[in-house]
Order: sequence, then C-alpha cells, then structure tokens
Amino acid sequence: MTDEDEMIGYRQQPGKLPFAKPGSGGKNRFSKSTNQEMIPESQGGKLTQPWGSHRHDDLVSGQIIGKPTALVDSHWKVTGQAKYGDDIRLPGELIGRIVRSPHHYARVLSIDCSKALELPGVVAIATGADAANKFGVLPVTKDEHAMAVEKVRHVGDLVACVAAEDEATAREAERLIEVEYEVLDSIHDMRKGLEDSDNPIHDRGKYHIGEANVQKRVFQEFGDIGGMVSNSIASHKQNWLFAGVNHAATEPHAVVAHWDPSGRLTLYTPQQVPHYVHRALADVLEVPMHQINVHRTFVGGGFGGKSDPFPHEMCSAILARKSGRPVRITFDREEVYWINRGRHPSRIEMNLHADDEGRICGIETDALIDGGGFASFGHVTTYYNGVLHTAPYEIGAFHYTGARVWTNKPASGAMRGHGAVNSRCAVETGLDDLAEQMEVDPITLRLANLLPPHSATITGFRVTSIGMRECLERVKEESGWDKKFRKMPLGKGIGIGCGFFISGSGLPIHWDPNKFPHATVHLKIDMDGGVTIHTGAADIGQGSDTVVAQAVAEVLGLPLDMIRVKSRDSDTSPVDLGSYSSRVTFMNANAAISAAMQIRDELLDATVEVTGADRHRLVIGDRRIFAKNDPAVGISYLEALHKAQEDRGALVASGAYRTPPMGRTHKGAAAGLAPAYSFSAYVAEVSVDVETGQTKVDKVWAAHDCGKALNPLAVKGQIIGSCHMGMGQVLSEEMRYGRGGHLMNPDLLDYKIPSVHEMPQVFPIIVESNDPEGPFGAKEAGEGPLLPILPAVCNAVYDAIGVRTAELPITPDRLLKLIERKCRSQGINEPLDLPSPKLNYSSLQETLAKRASEHAQRDLERRLDANRKPYHNGALFGLDPTTPPEENNELWAVNVIPSENYLAQPRLAGSAWKHTERRHRGDA
Amino acid sequence: MMRMPPFKLHTPKTLEEALEIARELTKEEESFDWVAGGTDLLPNYKWHLNVKPHVISLSGISELTKLSSTHIGAMVRLHDLSKSRSTHPVLVKAADSIASTLIRRSGTVGGNICLDTRCYWFNQTEQWRESIDWCHKCDCGTEADCRVIPNQNTLCVATYQADLAPVLMCLGATIHLASIKGIRSMPLNEFFELDGMTRNVLQPGELVTHITLPKDVKEWNGDYQKLRQRESWDFPEAGVAALWKMGIKGPTKLRIATTGLESIPGWHTEEAKNAISNWNGGDTIDSLAETIRKNVKPVQNTWYSTSYRRKMIKVLTRRACAGLLEVSE
Repeated sequence: MTDEDEMIGYRQQPGKLPFAKPGSGGKNRFSKSTNQEMIPESQGGKLTQPWGSHRHDDLVSGQIIGKPTALVDSHWKVTGQAKYGDDIRLPGELIGRIVRSPHHYARVLSIDCSKALELPGVVAIATGADAANKFGVLPVTKDEHAMAVEKVRHVGDLVACVAAEDEATAREAERLIEVEYEVLDSIHDMRKGLEDSDNPIHDRGKYHIGEANVQKRVFQEFGDIGGMVSNSIASHKQNWLFAGVNHAATEPHAVVAHWDPSGRLTLYTPQQVPHYVHRALADVLEVPMHQINVHRTFVGGGFGGKSDPFPHEMCSAILARKSGRPVRITFDREEVYWINRGRHPSRIEMNLHADDEGRICGIETDALIDGGGFASFGHVTTYYNGVLHTAPYEIGAFHYTGARVWTNKPASGAMRGHGAVNSRCAVETGLDDLAEQMEVDPITLRLANLLPPHSATITGFRVTSIGMRECLERVKEESGWDKKFRKMPLGKGIGIGCGFFISGSGLPIHWDPNKFPHATVHLKIDMDGGVTIHTGAADIGQGSDTVVAQAVAEVLGLPLDMIRVKSRDSDTSPVDLGSYSSRVTFMNANAAISAAMQIRDELLDATVEVTGADRHRLVIGDRRIFAKNDPAVGISYLEALHKAQEDRGALVASGAYRTPPMGRTHKGAAAGLAPAYSFSAYVAEVSVDVETGQTKVDKVWAAHDCGKALNPLAVKGQIIGSCHMGMGQVLSEEMRYGRGGHLMNPDLLDYKIPSVHEMPQVFPIIVESNDPEGPFGAKEAGEGPLLPILPAVCNAVYDAIGVRTAELPITPDRLLKLIERKCRSQGINEPLDLPSPKLNYSSLQETLAKRASEHAQRDLERRLDANRKPYHNGALFGLDPTTPPEENNELWAVNVIPSENYLAQPRLAGSAWKHTERRHRGDA
Repeated sequence: MMRMPPFKLHTPKTLEEALEIARELTKEEESFDWVAGGTDLLPNYKWHLNVKPHVISLSGISELTKLSSTHIGAMVRLHDLSKSRSTHPVLVKAADSIASTLIRRSGTVGGNICLDTRCYWFNQTEQWRESIDWCHKCDCGTEADCRVIPNQNTLCVATYQADLAPVLMCLGATIHLASIKGIRSMPLNEFFELDGMTRNVLQPGELVTHITLPKDVKEWNGDYQKLRQRESWDFPEAGVAALWKMGIKGPTKLRIATTGLESIPGWHTEEAKNAISNWNGGDTIDSLAETIRKNVKPVQNTWYSTSYRRKMIKVLTRRACAGLLEVSE
C-alpha cells in the first residue's frame, strides 16, 4: 500500500478531523505559550524554590497548579442543580421514618407493629430482628446494629423503622408502633464510665475491660520521665473541660435505597466515606459487596459527621428490600444530633514542664473522653488526644494516659481536627502560661523549641517538611505582635496558638498498606481528547474533584474543562478510603499524578514517533508537546493522543498511592502516623467586655503550612472556614445536656454557631514548605487550620483581662464567673478596675531568642541538604540526634503499659487501667 | 424533615371578616390561632406545640398596617417599623435587633408583642418531649408536670423573650384589641398577665389591632440594652428599656421595663420613681440597677444561667441609663 492509497478516504476520518490541528482540543483553538512564572526554577523556569526542588517538578506544565481555581462543581451548586441526599427522587419512592428511643438506657422488651401495619399507606416495618449483624466504622470495634437489638443506649437511638406512601403516614405509623421498655440506670457523667457497672453499655466479651464502660484506654511513656519534674523551673497544670460539639453541617443526613430489577442495591447517600458504608451494608444485609453500588450524592457539608456507616442507611436498605420500592429517609435537625459523631466531650489534665534553658522538658496529658453510646472512630480518637501533640516542639518527655468511655449519650466520633483539637488547645494555652511564668515571649519560646525539618518525634513519627517557623514568623510580623502583646489596655488582647495535624492517616483501616494501596485513580482518554477520571474520593465540598482534576490537567497540559471527574458510583470508581484524616489531596492527587504520568509517557512516545525529537527534551505545555530547546518542534496534544491510540483505541491508566514504611513498633505506634504533617500558627486579637464576659474576636492572622497551595482559593477558604468553626467551639457551640441527661439544644437556634456578626476579619497566610512526598509538594489544609484558633483566642482573652479559662466554650456566663473570682482574689470591686497583664522579659528571653535564631539557620541548612543525617527528638537535650534516644540512653523510657507505681496513684483517665481485661482476669 | 401539621387556613381581607370567621369557629367549638408574620407560630406548629385545626391569617388586612409616630398597626412588619423615620429611635434600636433580617421582613409588631413564651423544655419536638415525659405547657392531656420547676403544675414559667414590649411600655403605649364583642384598649403594661401559658388578657377570638403612643413621645430619650449570645437570630436572654424626660437639674421622669426574664415583661415603675425622687447621678443608677436585679426572678429555661441573667440585668440597666449621666453632667 502506498502513502497515497492510505490517504484515500482517510481525510474525513476522525484522526484528521479539524480538531486535530495544533493547539485545538479545548475551547480556545490555539495553545498558549508556557508561563515561565509557573515553571519551577529546577526546570529552568522562573518559579523560585526556596525550599528546594521537588520530584514532580518535571511534570509541571504551567497550567493550573497554584492558580486560584473555582471548584469544578461550583456552578452546579450555585445554580441549585446539585443533587444532595434528599434531592434524589426515584419513581415509586416510599418515605422512611425511624422510631427512636425516648429513654437514655433501656432494654427493649417487645415491639408491637400490628396497629401500624394496619394503617393504610404503610408498606413495610423493620426492627432489630431484621438485621442481626453488627457493624461499625472500625473493624476492631463493631458495636452498632441497624436498630436496637436487646438494648437502646441513648435518647434517640434507633428502635424500628417504617416505610409508607408519604411522610404524614410514616409519622402516624411511627406513633402507632408500641414499644415496651425496661428502663435501666443510665450514665451521663463520663467519670462514672470509669467505674464498674451492673449493666455495662456494651459487652465486649473476653476483651471487655473489667465491668466498666471503658471502651479504649491508652498509656504511653516516652523520654526522660524521671527527670521532667526535677529539671523544671516552671510547671503548668490545668484541668480542662471541653463540651461536645457537633459538625452542624448545613445538609442533614439523607439517604435513598433502591433494589433494582437485577437484584442489586444502589444506596444514594451523602457520604464522606462511601467505601465503609459499602462494606457495612454487605455485612448487615448479607449481600456480597459486588451486588451493591454506593452512589455518593453531593454532600452538603461533612466535617466528619458523615464518615461513619450509619444505621439509618441500613434501615433504608432493609425497608427497600422488604417493600420492593425505593425508600428515602431524611433527618430532622434533631436527628442529626442523635446520630452525632461530633467532637468528644473531654476532661483533659494538662501538665507542662520547662527547664532552665526554656526547653519543654515534659508534657503530661491525661485525657478522658466521652464516647457516648457507640465506639465510632473512638479507638483512634483516644490515641490522637495524646500523640498529636508530640510535635511541632522538641520535648524531653511525654506521658500520656487516655481513656474513652461509653455513656448514654449520642455517640461521639470524628470531627474536623479529629482528636487533636482539645488537647492542642490545652498544650498551647499551657505554653502561654509557661512563657508567662518564665517571663519570656510566647512566640520566642515556641521558635526556640521547634523540631527541625526531616526529624522524628518522641514517639517516632517521621516528620518531613516543616513550615512551622515560617508560620510563626509571618503571623508575628503581620499582626504587629511586638507592639501589642501585653501592651494593650484592659479588655483588648492578642494571643498565639499553633497546630500540627496529619496529612492522611498512614494506616488504611481495613487493610495492610503493603497489600493494597491507599488510593487508586483511573484515567480514560478517548479520541475527543477529554480525560475521564474515575476516583472513589468523596468530594464533600472541600474540592477533592477539583484537586484531582487539577493534578491530571497539570501533568497533561490540559485546561480544566477537558477533565471530567466521575467520583460518585462505587460501581465505576476504584476503591478509595474516603474523605477523612485530611488524606485526599495528598493520597488521591498522588495517585492521579501517577496515572497521568503513564498517559504522559505514552504521549511523549507518540510525539517522538511523529517528530523524531529527543525524548528527554520534550516538555508538555498547553495542549502541545514540544522540544524544550526548540518549541517549534512539536505536535498538538490531540495529534500525539491519536498517534498513541492507533493500535489500542482509548488510553487507560491506573495510578495508585501507598505510604512508605514508617514509624516504630510499640503498641499504638501506628496511631498518628502520616506521610506528612501540616503546621499552622494563628494570632487572634480579641475584645472582652469585663462587665458581661462577652468575647468578640476582632482579627485573626492565620498562617498555615500546606506544603504547596495547589488551589490557593480553596486553601484560603479552608483557613477562613476553620476559623469560623473553631471560633464556634471556643466561644459558643456546645451540646448542652440538662438535668437528667437530656440534650437541651438539638436545633440550630440554641446550638450557637457564630453568625456573620461574630466573624472576625481573617488574614489567611499560606506557607509553602514543599513537601517531598506530597503531590507537587502539597499537604493537607482541611483540618489542621482549625486547631490554632482555639488556643489563640484563649490566650488572647488572657492578654485582654488576665484570666485563664479551662472550660470551653467560653460563654459569657462562664467567663464572668472567672472574672469575678479574679476580682475577689485581688480585692477589686469593679471588674473595670482589673489590671491588664503586663510582662517584663527575664534574662531567659535572650537565651531563647539566640537559640531561635541558631535553629532558624539549622533548619534552613537542613531542609536544603539532600544528604542530611537523621534527627531524633532528644537532641535538644544533649542526646545523639542520629539514633533513637532509647537505643543509647537507658533512662529514656518507652512504655505502653502502666507500672504498678503509676497504678497506685493514677490520674483520672489513667484509672481506666485499674481494671483487668476479662481474658486476663482468670474468671471468664 | 420537620412537617407542618395539617390545618385549615382562613384569609380574610378585612378586620370585620376576620372577626366573623373567629365567631363562626368559636360557635362551632373549633379552636384556632391568629397568624401574622408566622415566624413564631409556624415553627412552633412544626414542633407540634399547641397545634390548632384552624389558622386565621391577618396578612391580607390592610387596615392593620398603618404606621405613624403615634400609631403602629399590628401588622406593621418589624423591618418597616425599624426603617420608618417616624419611629422613635429607641424603638428602632429594639426592632432592628430582633432575630434576623429575614425574620424582620416577615415578623410583625403585633406578633412580637404576642410572642409565645419560650422554654428549653417546651420548644422541642414531640419525640424530644416524649423523652422528658411531656411538658406542662403544651401536652396538657398527659397531665405532665412542669420540667423547669418540678412538682408544680399550676403556673407555667416559660420566658417572654420579645424586644418591643419593654420599649413600648416605657413610651407609654396603649394597646388596642378587637373582638366580635367590640373593641377595648389599655396601657400596654396591663396587657400582660403573669402566666407562661395565657401570657396576656386576650380572650379567644380577640386580637391586637394596633398600638398608640402619646403625643409627647418625641420628648422621651433613652436606650434599649439586650443580652444574647450572638448578634443575630437569638432571642433576648435579658433586655432593659429605659426612657426618661430630662429637666434642668436632671431627669424629671424615668421609666424602666425589662424582658427575657419572666413569663411577661417586667414593669419597674416604683423603682424608677424612687430613683427620680432621690436623684444623685451615677449612685442612683447603681442602686436602681441593683434593685431591679433583686426584683427579677428568671428561671433556668433559656441559654444563659439564671444567676448570669440577673447579674446582667444590673449591667444592662446601668448601660441603658448611661445617657442620663451624659446630659446631667
């Protein structure tokens, strides 16, 4: 066949259609020349890299990474066309309602549905007898049923459910279902949960801890435990009480279940973690996973509140199976509070010690957390309350006791900043107090005690990039700290707080990371040039669809409108762990990059074949692949694509991400492990009315190290949103339980989310520490930014009026009591006469400032040194930085079981260890 | 979702028609509610609080919307009241602080004055109330006890949390009522009756038509101070209105009223009269504030603790009266 023969009739073929002309393929016909300001200097571009080069630098095509980008689904939302859970309407749907317990704790003796079933319009009723199998978000603590089996554990716990033709009928049927209960003694004070009980809320068989309601307990002792008190010149001790808070997402939970004619179940649900509900459904319904499709609808806010598999999701599936029709269940706001999974009410004792060089020679934390009726994520929360404050500071010793107890309240669970928020608040306000005692500046104190980049924490977390120092320096500078701190009049104050958070949990909950990756992304490109991304990552409004689209667009040199993300159905998307632990950007974008790299390779190969150019010199720009040294040599994206497709049609690729091996081997060492960590520092400026106790946050300077802002607009949104959410917890939000243990405010009028009037001016500051393992250097920005606002506000309140609070939220009535107490202790009649706190630096200030500046130099050298030696926490205290301290220092403790000595005088949560697990008790 | 219980809605176009419907329903022994802006009644209905089978809407009755400096129709929207130039500045301040913009656009003066009393144990769903074994104020058939003060079910102690009444009382407002039996009027402070359930003198079939203010209303100065967690949405946890007339040597007249503390607004004429007769500037205000603090008796059924609300009454009274000192110095 000659060339001419081949051309006959071929001109009209797809490969030669006009869109194959150079520069075509997107909305604009011509490709733009590459913006060198967006190309890293390691690749010869003009983007400066003060933190060194990155492994993804050669993939940067200058398209979209780092540009403020509207979320890809934003138009759907703002035009009202996004379909949230309750927007799913299937033909023939029934409305499901749930019968809930009016008792805190009771045995269900009988359920009589006969009257309800006689009501015209009632189609199906289900009870606990219809679903005997347990489920739960963590495989180790499955303790939930779709509906009560034997017992109800809190007011609002599910007892039965009914599906009817319409809501009015369903509600009427709800009233007609007669349930007989035997009321049991309920527990509402978490301290009671530590004691033996006649009727523990759950029975874990041989693994049960004594006869108590202790669901999980943790003991950790690291470092120079013996020396921390004797070496100290200043010690802080505070007993904190944190109220529970709820995510209060705009969208209440809603679900639609439908068994289709082929006998498969589709569950439409606004889930953060579709995969876990997928597994739970299979367990509860006794249907293989491949017979279930979980369709994630648009999610109207999650914040952790939609990450458990929920009993109402099981109910809708059970009712749909019984009735043969789709069943929709939508919660009232009150029901959102019953299902809860919000932040744990907590009692935290925080002790901090500093030595004569201003080093933090010990942190002792005792955290008792109130889990409510079920385990949920609590196993992890119990660890996180301790281990997530072992950084960013280098510490001499760490002593942590934590316990989570069951009580007869709605279950606590994971909420934005999971497990880290409360204890972080306690640590950071404690540091402020230590600084006060030592008469030094609290920011200098922090700057002189930071771990360097690429170091290991006291419990062995591998920390890579650290932008903490830059965050602190930026907020100090931009807030005008030196002119304001301890210098403002009574009622005006400024305070600092820092944060540290995981960027993706290192351990997938359901499998060994060595056996299956954390995240997988599939790409498919057909001849139109558009890229279809299949991912299971759940976009819950944080922008995960956008970030994965950005990553692929960047690598392939495409505009965002050529990318379409299919992330809704488990039928088509690869398994993803979902949107929690701030893992999506880090893990999913990494998986997307790895998939896009395979396509990129194929495109480059095709380009070489067409142009004969040197492959190593080829780069990708806007819809064009060309030689770097001679941009005229190259072909359009579509030409390359069609060449690559010649033999096989549509290109497909699968990319995955797994974390590297990390961490140590002690029990619990995996909790808190992450491939990277984010850092943040906020300064808050507040006004306090000393006569009423009302606190108003005026301004917040908020610096967050997210590695690299792939989408600065989204990062700033996360920072500002975090300020709002954290301010709610620190100033007004609480799940308030009344006399008798009833939740008094399960509605949005009395659950006080700050309004726009309470919102301060927030100055978001993005710090980019270029994480070596993150996608294009990125780390998380969704949860970490929440942590610092709480202590920053608490510390600012102290600066304003000289009162330290240890109970959140700082509602005016609580603060006024503290003000009055302070007045009494100082013999002052009128609060307006209180002195405003002042500070004169001691000689230690100079020592710390000197060390801070030495460390700044140390950190700078370290972050740019590719051959850096290991650095283990402990070096600041004179130990060899290159080996773990326990290996060369006998006194350096590593204990995860309490000693007899400790048990003789345990702290509050530590007393959970007084009980013996039944299997070790010898009586079971 | 919260579901509105079924009711029949009547939409009269004139006051006469409205009263006639009320008469008819009364004759048929059908119970009903008036609805004005609906921002109080309808959320309560969704909570199944004292739901009636009939609701008569007043929104089509234009004769109830007249607004001038001395006449305020019951159907005047709170937003219009606060934006009108004829409205007294303290009344503007109080009206402007009610709930949120959206609610002020819908809520009315009459509705605000007749606001149902509120309580943590009452403003809850049916399911929730079942968990406390029902509430005295709304679940009468259950013989429920009061959950705020157990072992008494003679008096409901739900809290009156409306902002306009104390200011209007201090301005000397007269309230005008109408029913099929005729019209009557009375000073606003006599309109309220101490009980969280009945709240005021309105008889079945009777409604508020308008408020009138005396001609000298412009000669009164004062302030309204309100306590709440957030600067929007929240009902007053406590509120103090203070209005006065100023002479050469100091105030010649002073009226003080409070809200958000008991089942009806507090009317503190005696305390204010004593303060005026022994006027001694700041000291008088301090002792007046202390007296009022002692005289109010809030119960624990709203967001803030009772002790805090009482303490704040003292601070709010001082602040509301701060203008008195500015002038007299």
